[in-house]
Amino acid sequence: MNYSELLNHASRRQFLEAAGFTMSLAALSGCWRAPTVTALPFVHQPEGVVPGRMMSYASTCGGCPAGCGLLVGVRDGRPLKMEGNPEHPLSRGGLCAIGQALPLGLYDSQRLAYPLRDGQQATWDEVDGAITKQLAALGDDDAVVFVTSTVTSPTLQATIDSFLKSFPGGRHVTLDAVSSSAILDAHAETHGARLLPHYRFEQAKVIVSFGADFLGAWISPVEFMAAWRTQRTPTPDKPVMSHHVQLEGRMSLTGANADRRFRLAPSEYAAVLSHLAQDIGKRAGLELPTGQPPKSPLAQSDLRDLGERLWNARGASLVISDSQSIAVQKLVNYLNHALGNYGQTLDIEQPSRQRQASDADVAQLMADLKAGKVAALLVAGTDLTQNLPQREELAAAIKKVPLVISFAERADDFGALAHYICPDNHPLESWLDAEPVSGVVSLSQPTLQPLGQTRSILESLQRWQGRRVSAYDTLQAHWKDVIAKRAKTSSPFQVFWDQAVHNGFVEATAAAAKTTDFQFDKVSFPESQPAGEEFELALYSKIALTDSRHAHNPWLQELPDPVTKATWDNYVCLSPAAAEARGIVEGDLVKVTTASGVSLELPAMIQVGQHDRVLAVALGYGVPGTDRFAKIGPQWLEARPTVAPGELVGQNAAPCIEYRDKALQLALTNVTLEKQPGRRDIAKTQRYPSLKVPANVAPPGAEVREAVQETTLAAFAKDPHAGTPEVHDIGAGQLWPDDHPKLGHHWGMAIDLNCCTGCSACLIACQSENNVPVVGKDEVRREREMHWIRIDRYYAGDDDDLQTVHQPMMCQHCDHAPCETVCPVLATVHGAEGLNEQVYNRCVGTRYCANNCPYKVRRFNWFYYERDDDLRNLVLNPDVTVRTRGVMEKCSMCVQRIEHARIEAKRLGVPLADGAIQTACQQSCPSQAIIFGDMNDPESRVSQAKLNPRRYGVLEEFNFQPSVSYQRVVRNRDEEIGEQHSTGGDHHA
Amino acid sequence: MQQRIITVILLIGICFGFTMLVYGMMDWRLPDRETGYSPEQPIDYSHRLHAGELQIDCQFCHTGAKQSRYAGIPSSDVCMKCHSVVTSSFDVLQQEQELADSEQRKPQPIISDKLRKLYDSLALDQDLKPKEDATATSIPWTRVHNLPDFTYFNHSAHVSAGVTCQRCHGPVESMERVRQVEDLSMGWCVNCHREVNKAGVNGQPVHASTDCSTCHY
Repeated sequence: MNYSELLNHASRRQFLEAAGFTMSLAALSGCWRAPTVTALPFVHQPEGVVPGRMMSYASTCGGCPAGCGLLVGVRDGRPLKMEGNPEHPLSRGGLCAIGQALPLGLYDSQRLAYPLRDGQQATWDEVDGAITKQLAALGDDDAVVFVTSTVTSPTLQATIDSFLKSFPGGRHVTLDAVSSSAILDAHAETHGARLLPHYRFEQAKVIVSFGADFLGAWISPVEFMAAWRTQRTPTPDKPVMSHHVQLEGRMSLTGANADRRFRLAPSEYAAVLSHLAQDIGKRAGLELPTGQPPKSPLAQSDLRDLGERLWNARGASLVISDSQSIAVQKLVNYLNHALGNYGQTLDIEQPSRQRQASDADVAQLMADLKAGKVAALLVAGTDLTQNLPQREELAAAIKKVPLVISFAERADDFGALAHYICPDNHPLESWLDAEPVSGVVSLSQPTLQPLGQTRSILESLQRWQGRRVSAYDTLQAHWKDVIAKRAKTSSPFQVFWDQAVHNGFVEATAAAAKTTDFQFDKVSFPESQPAGEEFELALYSKIALTDSRHAHNPWLQELPDPVTKATWDNYVCLSPAAAEARGIVEGDLVKVTTASGVSLELPAMIQVGQHDRVLAVALGYGVPGTDRFAKIGPQWLEARPTVAPGELVGQNAAPCIEYRDKALQLALTNVTLEKQPGRRDIAKTQRYPSLKVPANVAPPGAEVREAVQETTLAAFAKDPHAGTPEVHDIGAGQLWPDDHPKLGHHWGMAIDLNCCTGCSACLIACQSENNVPVVGKDEVRREREMHWIRIDRYYAGDDDDLQTVHQPMMCQHCDHAPCETVCPVLATVHGAEGLNEQVYNRCVGTRYCANNCPYKVRRFNWFYYERDDDLRNLVLNPDVTVRTRGVMEKCSMCVQRIEHARIEAKRLGVPLADGAIQTACQQSCPSQAIIFGDMNDPESRVSQAKLNPRRYGVLEEFNFQPSVSYQRVVRNRDEEIGEQHSTGGDHHA
Repeated sequence: MQQRIITVILLIGICFGFTMLVYGMMDWRLPDRETGYSPEQPIDYSHRLHAGELQIDCQFCHTGAKQSRYAGIPSSDVCMKCHSVVTSSFDVLQQEQELADSEQRKPQPIISDKLRKLYDSLALDQDLKPKEDATATSIPWTRVHNLPDFTYFNHSAHVSAGVTCQRCHGPVESMERVRQVEDLSMGWCVNCHREVNKAGVNGQPVHASTDCSTCHY
């Protein structure tokens, strides 16, 4: 049959036969040979480097000034996985979400790869020549201002000092986007030294925090969490734990973890502190602050209880506040002094250096800029115009400065105004040091060659002083001259240095800060401020985006806020009552106007626990360039952009900041709120506030399961098993035969909810380890986020005494897994060691497993997620398959780490020790709430944790036999009935 | 007429579909089809000579096999452990030595064509001194044994367990040019894992897991 015959006379059957034959031929010819794969070996293999093996290098996190210890996992020459350094004295092995997301920032293709001169690409020689010439031309009267965020690096500080010394008019101004200036200024008055105390939560038995989000984003959260958790593990023998009271206007993560939480507007902190100060001052027999305390918004009984608790724990209590009012901070100091906490829970001899900004200096700089008194402006580590109010005036003033230099990694808001951008290396590319707390000097080492032609700021500053010295030499010289001497080492410098590079830090005592006796005359009760009806605005920083510097990191943008669970946006948080009174529903656009006339238009977020007169807006959003994320995530027919055309991710709230009372005020009074027409959907990962099924959707006879359990310390002391719900026998035992003996290992996990703060570091750790894609705002809105861990947040109680539990929820690796029974292609099967295995290459995407999963932890790849950026792809972990469209995925309990540890043990001929395998989430957890191990080994930590009387399994009554168990929350309260997150109380639906 | 147009359109569509299919399937691999794959390499390196005749241990060059997932292809400087002295085949060098002796002069440096490529990769000149105008580049070897990206094979685990290289790679010491001997299919892997669980490796009992997550994660 020839072609024309086929065309004219072929029957349907003949046609299909021919087509089928052609197709099989084509298929066979197509897969005859694989494409040629080339393998390029080293020319000279560096010593110690073995292709395919992960190497760990000790370093210091450069994500914020907290300076946590890092172990940078480098595989085949590229840094891939950040881990906390367990030996680091401050962070103790934990690492926050920002630290975990560092590699993605490194492999950002929009980071500047070369210096810019007037916005045009230039060479370093050109830039250096021009800058040196302009600096040399400066006269004696010309002001040279170097603005940085807090510099904890002794070497960088010394280099800046030496650079500025060559100019008579040189000065260094520190600007923190979220400043703690008032704490330092208050200490300057009460203790005669401008310093930030080193808070030692591990010593604190009673913590009273006025708005300070120390478990969230305040100063050094990883360190604080690690210290805080040491007081949060009551045992039946020793049922004691710290008592943590949070008084705050907005709902912070720290408030969510408090034993007792009061709603208090920021303007009311002073009144409550005054009464406490009066109470404690009288008890201690100390001189009282001058004046009369204003009327307290708190009930007398609550005040008395607080005072009683603080006094009983004197020397082991801690009062803190994030207020930017010096008067408030002086009262805080008074309280801590009267309680004898200095030297115990607050160290001012070896103070913290994590916040150094002096807002008065910043205000002076702003005035000088506007007056045209600045001849040269150099800015490093912060975005001057983005993080300060009065942007337009400031920008206009900066345009008149003859020499403006930025060290930013990209042309950010300030960078666009600069004459030169001399991009600094990424923290993972540079030699640097850090002294976050006096006496602990931490070292950063590069883990790869700079990807672009960026240059360390140390080198740039040396070059402009006419010295060609590398950053490494500058650093080493400073260590030789200063740090080694401080460390009082007896070994030769090279040995000391090698040791420091290996360990990542040294302990080098610093001279104790010179403080005076407590200056009682400086403390006074503030004048009474009658609480108006007007709103107050609290500007805060989120856990993931502390200031504008991480806004280009999509992992952090997509990290659900631990409290609001919102991604990809900032918004105005307001209380349900305030919203109801104004007829506002979530997502409605509202306009917030401050007393100085600055307004923001953002969607409303209804947040329980928020003070009725407080609005809260997150800083760190509205960063220029974030419109790049418009098309992040799958682009399909119904896709909506993550960022609307002409907009940015969120809105910058920094213009609302006001300079008053020698500080940049983040809490503002007399704010008005107006409902605007229009809506903007907020993409949230959790929309239900409690486990209670709303009456309108509950099927008749629906039972509520106690997925989170909680008890009080008083009840726990009586009965360690307190809080165990009554479980009905539903006789489901026969459904699954016990045909998996698990004779070898049996992997399991235990999560202590009493230590888990919900900080979400584990989430990014998992994303980094397991190649979890970013899906964009629209897909999150459609509940298609891909994170393998979600942190469920449940509220109980009422707005005035809200109790929150955070519960990390990932695949529970059930021994009787409902997902396994329904997979038609055996793509999810039970391993011999108890793991519920997901086999991607078998999965055909029926999604039966996800439907049958009682924990709803399975994630389906609806799309090919963006993998077009070759540089960004370097962040992918080669030990984990990158999943494709149509495949189900979920937590694997880091099976690649299990396999690696097993093979290593075999290679070294040693038994697989308990603790040799750490899952990514466990490693990162700042409060060490997660334990992974072998449940067949009775000595293992996880087996011990499973014997804990607080242990429970989620939905255990169905006989799923989850391998993940939880330890219930114990709240340090006197009543004996814990809040029920599912049945009791008035829940917010 | 209309029917005919539809048929033509359909045919064009199907042809286009086939073309796309074939194109798409270029990346597909059926593992057993790779048996006997023996691609030409940039340097005609002889495993028969090195591993067979000279009896150099496999792990002398493939150092990663014991410690890493990858056995690794030796870096060029590993070759230089011997080839900084041995610049050509023994016969040629010996002839030149004899000739030089008889002519009472120093022997001329002789570099074979194959080794020239090695020295080029290291940017070495005729006297094996670094060239100033050239930078060292890797030799682009062609991979013979390829596994799909969703399969994680670990050399270290197998070497530690005492599995010989030849068990999977065949008699490499007899191959002039390396050839894939086994099909490296999943069935082949699993069969071996099952067998050694019964019979052990070299008389030693081993536990070779047949869980999916042993290789797929």
